[in-house]
Formats: sequence, C-alpha cells, structure tokens
Amino acid sequence: MARPKFQVGDTVRIKDRTTLFHTRTQKFIRKRVGTIVEHRPEWVIPEDEAWDRMETGRKEPFYVIRFKQTELWPDYTGLAHDTLETEASESWLEAVKG
Amino acid sequence: MSEQARPYPVLMETLDDIGERTDTTLRCIDHEPEVWESRMQTTCECLSKAGILDNLERRHAEDRLGESIYKRFPVQTRSVLTVAHTLMDRGLFTEQALRDKMSSVRARLEEK
Amino acid sequence: MAKHHGDGHHDGHNAFDVSSKVSEFEILELAVRELAIEKGIFSAEDHRRFAEWAEGVGPHGGSKLVAKAWSDPAFKQRLLENGTEACKEVGIDWLQPTGVGTPSDYTFFYVLENTPQVHNVIVCTLCSCYPRPVLGMSPDWYRTPSYRRRMVRRPREVLAEFGLHLPADVEVRVHDSNQKSRFMVMPMRPEGTEGWSEEQLARIVTRDTMIGVALPRADRTSDAGSLAEQAR
Repeated sequence: MARPKFQVGDTVRIKDRTTLFHTRTQKFIRKRVGTIVEHRPEWVIPEDEAWDRMETGRKEPFYVIRFKQTELWPDYTGLAHDTLETEASESWLEAVKG
Repeated sequence: MSEQARPYPVLMETLDDIGERTDTTLRCIDHEPEVWESRMQTTCECLSKAGILDNLERRHAEDRLGESIYKRFPVQTRSVLTVAHTLMDRGLFTEQALRDKMSSVRARLEEK
Repeated sequence: MAKHHGDGHHDGHNAFDVSSKVSEFEILELAVRELAIEKGIFSAEDHRRFAEWAEGVGPHGGSKLVAKAWSDPAFKQRLLENGTEACKEVGIDWLQPTGVGTPSDYTFFYVLENTPQVHNVIVCTLCSCYPRPVLGMSPDWYRTPSYRRRMVRRPREVLAEFGLHLPADVEVRVHDSNQKSRFMVMPMRPEGTEGWSEEQLARIVTRDTMIGVALPRADRTSDAGSLAEQAR
C-alpha cells in the first residue's frame, strides 16, 4: 500500500496527459487547479482496468478534488462560490506551490 | 471495427410504433420506464460483464448514434437501438437474423 | 417458471404483460436479448438474476435512508461516515447481485449532506453512473448528453429548468461521479414535517430530491406531481 502523496487541503493541478488509452479523467479538469478534499481507497486505475487487468492492474490512491467553477469555465455564468467535485488517481495530479 | 454511419432499416422501421421524439426540455424527458426498458438495461449489464460491449463504450455510442442517425427517436430507445446497431456492425448477427428473430418473437407474443 | 428461462426462447416475465398491443420495442428488446443468448454471450439465467435484482431496487431505498437519517442522528452519522455499511441497516447490500456489485455500480457509496450553505447535485459526465442500489434505474434525462454536459457547466441554469432556484448565498456543488464512487444527496428536512414518522417522511423524499434537482416539501410526494404542476 503506497502512502498517499497528497494531503487534504493540498492544492493540485490535473496533468494534461495524452489519452490514447482509456481514461476516466475528464478533459474539462485537465490543467485546472483544485484542492484535495478527501482521500479515497486505492483502486486499480481505469487506464489498466480497460485492459481487463482487475487482478494485475496498477493500483493508486485516489482523491476527491474540489474546483471552483470559475476555474473550470472562464465564462461561468453562476456564482463565484459554486464548486465541482470529482475524483482522480494520484498520477494525474501534480503539486502546486501554494 | 468501424461504426456504420447509416441507420439500419430494421431499426428505423420501429420509429412509427413509438413516434418521433417530441421533448423540448429535460423536464419533459421523464416517464415511468416500461418493462422492456428495464430489461434492456439488464441486457446492457450482461453485455458489459461479458466483455462484449462495455458500459462506457456503449454510452458513448448512444451519444453518437442517438444524436445523429437515430435522433428522431425518443431518448429511452437509445440503448436498444445502439446495442442492436453495434452488435450488427460487429457481425454478431446480421440484419436479416434480427429481422427473422423479431418476426418469431412477434408471432409468439401476439399469440399469447 | 424457472424452466422457461433456461432455454433462452421464452421469457416468463412477458407472460404478465396484459396490454393488448405488443410494442415493437418490446419485440426488438427481446429479439436482441435472445440473439445474444443464442450466441452464448450470456445466459438467460444471468439475465434473469440481474433483472430480479433490478426490479427490487428503486428510489424507495434512498428515501428510507434519508427518512431514517432525519429521524435518528446516530444513524445519520453512520450513513455519512460509511454509506455502504449503513445501507445494510435498511437491507441494501451494494455487493448484490454478483457478490462484487454490478459492473457499473461498484461498491463505494457516499451520501452528500445538503446544508443551508451547500446544495449538492449529482451527474456523471462520462457515462451515466448512478447509485442504483439506492435509487434504481436512472431517469432518461439523467442519461442525456444535454444533462451531463450542462450540469457541470451551467448547473444553476439546469436546476432552474427543474424549477429549482437557489438563493445566491448557497454554494452549488456539483459531483461528477467519474470513478468508482457513487453518490446520493441527503436533502434537508423541510418545515412542516415535525413529528412525522419515518414512513411519512420517506414519502416526500423523492428521486429528484436525492439527485439534487429538487427540494423536498411537506406537500409533495412525487416527482411526476411537480411535472404536472409545471404543465399547468
């Protein structure tokens, strides 16, 4: 069991990796900055799950990341305090110096 | 394994029976699912579990096909149209086989 | 009855449909399923087992959870801390029907509590992940690209289409269930329900209030009802 690299409260950026392969990391959160709000268990990453490697696939810690809507959508029409939460595996995240 | 960009006639022929899509807002798209609709969702689960048509892959095909060649159909028909379309594309059964099967199912159900 | 399912040619359930006309979609669905069974992709028994499970689940499960949480603070605590475990107290087992859940439900369940400051709403932009063990089959609109694309981008506009206008001091928090977790919203208990039993409370906790596109009201017991209201 790898120890999670990030802690609740950390600021992270979602990497902009190429996605020739199956992934569940949405396009609209890539390159965006958010805050870790919760840890999730270690799961087989979707990139490996797609190859039917539930047993042997790589496992990574997962996180819940909260974004300001205005960070995701420059033209956001709602209110500044509106947010969106979603999950990502550790290798999709990079630390942002606070 | 490319996707046929034309609708299959055997599927288009069902449009008359259900009628054209009429909803204009999300709120209009709400109805108690009929028995065949929940059976279809179950079929989708079985196909996904069997590794034939993964749920995520199916949903994306539903989005593509449902918003293009089958866009005249009400949204609750998207799963069955997409599954039938995709399985025919992949040669799991032919359009004729589906037509024949539908005839025999129809005869059986109407007999009851 | 069970024998009927074994041969893949006869669907026992259809025998209960008494409507005079058989719809083409009923025929199409059964034809596709039977062809798949004939090709050996899955068995009629696989389908029957899953259908039985699917018939048993529905929003009543979620309503029960919320009503119990409103009535019992200790249960509410357990529900928020470990949704999957707390579900067992009302007879919902996320490991059904296969022992490992279903391919699209997984087994990680989290309840999102609405507060006077935060309103939660769920969506799955990638596919249409939905907490089926507690809410049953997702409504058609939940699966449309229109809902999925716009709920993450313009949540207040979409909520307004459902008749839900939230005050400016409330944060709208959209949860995009893109991985293995499944979510359900626990709405706030509305006024006018003081002294109600859990059964009474459960009736106003409709599907839409647990998705987050509506708020429960003491005088509203169905989502369809609000639809009719809107049409008036």
